[in-house]
Amino acid sequence: MSYDLLIRGGRVVDGSGLPSYVADVGVKDGKVTEIGKIKEGAVKTIDAGGLAVSPGFIDHHTHLDAQMLWDPYGTCEPQHGVTSVVMGNCGLSLAPVRQGIEDAIVKSFVRVEAIPRIALDQGVKWNWHSYGEYLDNFEGKVGINVGGLVGHIAVRHHAMGEEAVERKATGTEVQKMKGLVLDAMEGGALGMSTNRNDRHMREDGKPVSSRLADDDEFFALCDVLAERNAGVIETILGRNKVEHFEWYHELAKRTQRPILWQSLQHRWSEPNLWREQLAAVEPIFKAGYQAYGLSHTVPLVRHFTMKDCQIFDEFPTWKNLMFLPVEVRKQAFADADTRKKLQGELDNLRETNYHKRWDIPKIEKVFKPENQKYVGKTIAEMAAMRNQAPIDAFLDLALDENLETIFWNANNGGDWNAMGEILRSPYVLIGTSDAGAHVLFGADFGYGTILLGLWVRERQVMSLEQAIHKLTFHPASIFGLQGRGLLRPGYAADIAVFDPKTVNAEEPVWANDFPANSKRMVQQAIGMNYTIVNGTVINDHGRMTGELPGQVMRGPLYRQHKAAA
Amino acid sequence: MGVSYIPVARIGELNPGAMKEVDLGGRQVLVAFVEGKYYAFSRQCPHEEADLKEAGQLLNGTQIRCNNHSYCFDLKTGDCTLPKGGAPLTVLPAEERGEEVCIRLEW
Repeated sequence: MSYDLLIRGGRVVDGSGLPSYVADVGVKDGKVTEIGKIKEGAVKTIDAGGLAVSPGFIDHHTHLDAQMLWDPYGTCEPQHGVTSVVMGNCGLSLAPVRQGIEDAIVKSFVRVEAIPRIALDQGVKWNWHSYGEYLDNFEGKVGINVGGLVGHIAVRHHAMGEEAVERKATGTEVQKMKGLVLDAMEGGALGMSTNRNDRHMREDGKPVSSRLADDDEFFALCDVLAERNAGVIETILGRNKVEHFEWYHELAKRTQRPILWQSLQHRWSEPNLWREQLAAVEPIFKAGYQAYGLSHTVPLVRHFTMKDCQIFDEFPTWKNLMFLPVEVRKQAFADADTRKKLQGELDNLRETNYHKRWDIPKIEKVFKPENQKYVGKTIAEMAAMRNQAPIDAFLDLALDENLETIFWNANNGGDWNAMGEILRSPYVLIGTSDAGAHVLFGADFGYGTILLGLWVRERQVMSLEQAIHKLTFHPASIFGLQGRGLLRPGYAADIAVFDPKTVNAEEPVWANDFPANSKRMVQQAIGMNYTIVNGTVINDHGRMTGELPGQVMRGPLYRQHKAAA
Repeated sequence: MGVSYIPVARIGELNPGAMKEVDLGGRQVLVAFVEGKYYAFSRQCPHEEADLKEAGQLLNGTQIRCNNHSYCFDLKTGDCTLPKGGAPLTVLPAEERGEEVCIRLEW
């Protein structure tokens, strides 16, 4: 047999979590057809010696609903090994829609997901009504595989118009919404999402429409999925409380569908919350139901100098000093009484977002050769080396370098041990890239490459096999993406070929590639040599090939509906 | 320890509802004249770092709304009023001293 594509001599990490092994991977007609020692030739051969060969990553938490309409790659997903994306999270989708409610949907996207209005106004053509028609837009026109959840916000506006942001739904309106959800599922939606986050508003300051729904309404919509045994239910309730877990349990028990909830991450300001969340969700799984917490891999890192930083703004004296002229500030930093006052504010037990610890912030970059020995050390470690109190060591170093020393701090995701436990938990689904959203604030396309670079290679919190499983077959199983997420004969040839010794994500940078040349942040990858979708290379060392082999991933009700028709 | 008064505007320089940008020790600050008083606050929204010079909209009373996500803040305290409990806006005490508006920074 001759292959379309042959990947020779790589280490196959097949997505199952089983130990990896060296093998060739043969691809024909978009599928993996053979794994082992392959003698036959191929139209195209990739030498993967020294590289890992895994299923392409599945980014299940994106807001690429609009971006995929003008950017067939969902840039920068493929650069990071992502071959499939799920849109429609957090209650937000661009379908179903009818004339007159388009702007209500845009208002919600603009505010909740911080997508520039000009990009949505120019990039979204609204040439669909149903969810299935929306998905039709991507057939044959995308480089990666796309699927989506139907969003409660659009469903509610479709049934109630602008009153969706004013009141509870009537019984008739709930029935109408159930019909819309069923139609979306039969059109190919992979599930449904809702949003009850009390911080999520529209552009006009009104709550997003799904926040007006009561349990009767939402559960009735979820019953559509339960009755047909299809789809996931994705939720965002805002800040997690214990009663939320009772709600997840009730929903999971009632529907027996996978529930997804946001979110679970270590925060220094609430260092035990993640443990309480995992303890609260365990009984749901023990009872036989699924309620996965979504967790991110990207620590919320801030790099700062004492010349210009905001991280101490919660502390009045620190704050005032940071607004003083630099020369006055330097004098104040050198003053022993001022230092005592500064340390006193950190010692105060008042709850703050900043962790108030010296064993977390690190010295990232110094400017004098004699200080080089401190790079990579925490301030507490540096203080021990200098036999000083941490505040003295911190401020003396900053003053010695004219306040230009660069420090590193992470309020979220910075506790390696906690993050290890979170990321390894069987109750956690990794990935809240939010790709396509918050585009002026950051870019986390690299949640997968950061998992492999930071957490697997540098921190060794899990094996490469476990990590690849978490990025591939785990989400594929939960979302019901048949034939994807494993490297096995018969599975789609969605493949990432990367160097486990170097794989990682670059820092986000600005680009002007949104409609109307509007700007956003993008993120490139390191060590991701090839991304292959349905057997076709779309990313060759960071360069897009121009091929569009992506498929629309439609859910099981679509197939049933089509077969019945 | 000490106190500094840093002039940021002349009395009468700002019309009611107007804002002025100022650099204070390298930090970007906005000074607003609202309901007969001056308020000073960080130019950066604490939610997602939007520039309040562009996205900030003064509302009735002493409120500012960041039009990036409709977060609202009380200029007197910095408290996030919509949604309640959000990260506070960094505010600085502004005082009229003679013909000038000054920021009082004590340490």
